[in-house]
Amino acid sequence: MSCSLRLCVVLVLVTVCSTSCGERALVTRLTFSGSALGPEAELVQRQLVRFGERHPGVEVELRVTPDAADQRHQLYVQWLNARAPDPDVLQLDIIWTAEFAGAGWILPLDAFALDVDDFVPAALAASRWRGALYAVPWFIDLGLLYWRTDLLPSPPRTLSELREAARRLQETGRTRFGLVWQGARYEGLTTVFLEHLGAFGGGILDAQGHVIVDEPAAIRALTFMCDALGRDGFVPLSVLTWQEEQTRFAFQNGDAAFMRNWPYASGLMQDRARSPVADRFAVAPFPAEDEGRPTAALGGAQLAVNARSANPALAWALVRFLVAPEQMLERAQLVTQLPSRRSLYDTNALAQALPIPIEQITQLLDAAVPRPVTPVYSELSEILQVRLHRALSGQQTPAAALREAAREIRTLLVRSGLASEEQAP
Amino acid sequence: MSRHVAAIEQEERLLARWLVAPALLFILVGSLVPIAATGWEALHGHDLRLPWLGRPFVGVANFVEAIQDPRFTSALLHTVTFAVVTVPLEIALGLALALIMHTAHRGRALIRLATLLPWAIPTVVAALVWRFMFDAQAGIVTALLRTLDVVGESFDWFVHPLAAWVPIGAADIWKTTPFVAILLLAGLQTIDPALHEAARMDGAGGVRRLVTITLPLLRPALVVAAAFRMLDALRMFDVAYVVTGGGPGTATEPLSLYAFIVLMQRLRFGYGSALSVTVFLLTFAFALMWVRALGRSLVGDRT
Amino acid sequence: MRRNPAGVAGAALLTMLLFPIYWMIASSVTPESRLFQSPPLVPSTLSLDHYRALFDERDFLIPIRNSLVVAAMTTIVVLPVATLCAYALARLRFRGRALLLALILAVSMFPQISIVPPLYLILRELRLLDTYPGLVLPYVTFSAPLAVWLLTGFFRQLSPELEEAAMLDGASRVRALWDVVLPLAAPGVATAAILTFLYCWNEFLFALSFMLGPDRYTVPVAVTLFRGRYQVPWGQVLAATVVATIPVALVVLAFQRRIVAGLSAGASKG
Repeated sequence: MSCSLRLCVVLVLVTVCSTSCGERALVTRLTFSGSALGPEAELVQRQLVRFGERHPGVEVELRVTPDAADQRHQLYVQWLNARAPDPDVLQLDIIWTAEFAGAGWILPLDAFALDVDDFVPAALAASRWRGALYAVPWFIDLGLLYWRTDLLPSPPRTLSELREAARRLQETGRTRFGLVWQGARYEGLTTVFLEHLGAFGGGILDAQGHVIVDEPAAIRALTFMCDALGRDGFVPLSVLTWQEEQTRFAFQNGDAAFMRNWPYASGLMQDRARSPVADRFAVAPFPAEDEGRPTAALGGAQLAVNARSANPALAWALVRFLVAPEQMLERAQLVTQLPSRRSLYDTNALAQALPIPIEQITQLLDAAVPRPVTPVYSELSEILQVRLHRALSGQQTPAAALREAAREIRTLLVRSGLASEEQAP
Repeated sequence: MSRHVAAIEQEERLLARWLVAPALLFILVGSLVPIAATGWEALHGHDLRLPWLGRPFVGVANFVEAIQDPRFTSALLHTVTFAVVTVPLEIALGLALALIMHTAHRGRALIRLATLLPWAIPTVVAALVWRFMFDAQAGIVTALLRTLDVVGESFDWFVHPLAAWVPIGAADIWKTTPFVAILLLAGLQTIDPALHEAARMDGAGGVRRLVTITLPLLRPALVVAAAFRMLDALRMFDVAYVVTGGGPGTATEPLSLYAFIVLMQRLRFGYGSALSVTVFLLTFAFALMWVRALGRSLVGDRT
Repeated sequence: MRRNPAGVAGAALLTMLLFPIYWMIASSVTPESRLFQSPPLVPSTLSLDHYRALFDERDFLIPIRNSLVVAAMTTIVVLPVATLCAYALARLRFRGRALLLALILAVSMFPQISIVPPLYLILRELRLLDTYPGLVLPYVTFSAPLAVWLLTGFFRQLSPELEEAAMLDGASRVRALWDVVLPLAAPGVATAAILTFLYCWNEFLFALSFMLGPDRYTVPVAVTLFRGRYQVPWGQVLAATVVATIPVALVVLAFQRRIVAGLSAGASKG
């Protein structure tokens, strides 16, 4: 027994020593944390290495985080709340900036020089909290309706048209499903709901920051979604566990006539070798009814600096490097992500890089609607997600679900001391 | 001479203090102080994401909020129902397993191994395996039920608020029945086989002997096993987190998981501490009931 | 007792107990493409791809190292602490002995979630989050009771005559403990070490709360957080579960009798 005990002690000592003796004091190490899915990972890695070449003595380490946004958010919250000094630069989802800024976890960036005018205003507004700039928009995402050009002559102009077309195509057996969207209990569901809200003239918070998600327009929107799953039956129940990739698979395999998804899917589905629907689809704004307007949920990523970073100036240099036009264009070309710099949309290079026609994108940028910019957004969204999911899975009526959601959100805002705050943009 | 004895006793008491001190220190610092601190924190409003609100003393406001919080009452209901449903099943299955182990002559080693493995496997591993077996696409249980036409083609356990409990229950029962079996086996081994012999010669069959001899004598062990299982079921976290994450919606969210989400994801330490205190009170209340039942059971044995 | 009904029931129970483990192993060597298409009960093609991916792409050695280090550190602390305490509880008479035993038992019944908030805040202040010592503290606290309980029962079974003989020869109580009792206690201590190791290897909530990144995740946390992708990589997850089970299975195989004896003794005494 004492022999194995000694062995244990030695094992422990060796492990502890080997982990701490790996440090080299000559190189300044920055940590960058962001999404790393396939080609995006390689691209980021390449850009980080390029940064290291331009700044001798600096090495940037890419810290891999889970790909699901909710999980990455949890991880960030865990790290930053624990006062970890790394990662130095974080890729934030556009909806996290106000939260991290309010908690004091990221640095205000006004002191650093940045050409703010070149950035898309809606995205920039989401990077501000209480007037100060806390992050820099990196790339933009917009919710789109994908439709099959071989099954329809033109995209539906209203939501009712979409419903009719989807039902027809499903009932006649042309496709297995009419429409697919992300219905799992996560942030994606809120964005889908946002687009339905806009279609009926509703919203989550109004311009003064009051909760309006229990108003008739919102109830109509959610009823439409519930009916799509139930009575009208053109959206399959499985969407309730689907995120972006599952919906993409369904549309890509030809199982769905319509899909609501982000621009990234477009590039992947054009791959003729893997995608049965290559060259047979196009995008359009998510249609609306008469009382609303076509809405594209504004998503995307921003870059921020850890408030406890050991090298803030250097971290800022990395941020500025990554949002430079050169890097942004490269990203658009390689991973089909929409840049956040307006000037790039006038360039030929971008027009060639994106699988979606430029005029459509600029049209969509006008239709972009951000989610509420508030430090308690993730809790607000979670309240909404839980209620939406309950209504969609038949556990509650839309009206009851939204009324409870609204009540909880109001309580949340009051309790957080944010009730009378004016919400941007 | 008695002074000498007294001196030795004094020395022993001193020695005992030294020997016990480290363990006591760990218990104090690791458990008792934190529990008290949680209780104190539960009386404050402390949201780590809203530093501008500070950390005011709010009395029982957090508890009042909990009572009015439907998600809390659901979680409480889930926890209690889960405990009340799974524990009897585990006891029954554990008893069956213990009886088999006790009477088996061949394959004893195999049975013992089969019993110990699920117990020793990490809970999250068991949960993941069962999650896999119930998966809508890749799961063998789902596939089996589909071929038997019990469920439809696109049936998904994890989408239905009640059905989602089945994989959780299965994983938990599978994981913990062995522990119950081992406890009961120890109890079985203390029963004098002569009693069974006598009963058999009187013509009593197996079932009759089980009911009139085994079960009454096994009562203390049954009570202990049930108590341990209840306590574990009331604070269940791992299985729910891994198998369903609390979903769909919050339909399979036990109290510990809700407290964890409030604490570590929403960073509402005040409210989350109140929820943690509730879990503690729940287990404490049960432990009290058990101690009294145990006392009564021991007294009952002597009559 | 008639063998047949018991035999059938026994076989059924055995199958239910062992099948998931078999299935876990079988699925972990099934190629990804077949996993989602109702694979047969006995896999036709075997593939070690998942294991390769596990160690090449996901660096699964790191969580294994972390779990081993934490388990080793915890065991090193728990064993002496629990042994001394158990000896005192078994042999010596002192005030508050019953209270201490009750306290120790009570602590093992605490819901873990109830002590997470203050521990988190304290560990944060002391910069012990995401470190090995930060996790060892709660681990020692929660595994010590079982060890004490086990060892107390064990010491009570040891005949006191040997120590008394040593003390009559002029040795002090401490000397007797060191020279005579501890060598005899080796089997009990070994069992306590095994149970402590199993606890640390198994533990999830504290590791999830206090360890922040892949560098320090223990095995249960690392395995669970594989679920980040859109489509759960079941092949790799199952390979990871098999790897996580191997040390446990080995320990159980080697020490079956001891574990059962330890648990039963602790259960019936106490």
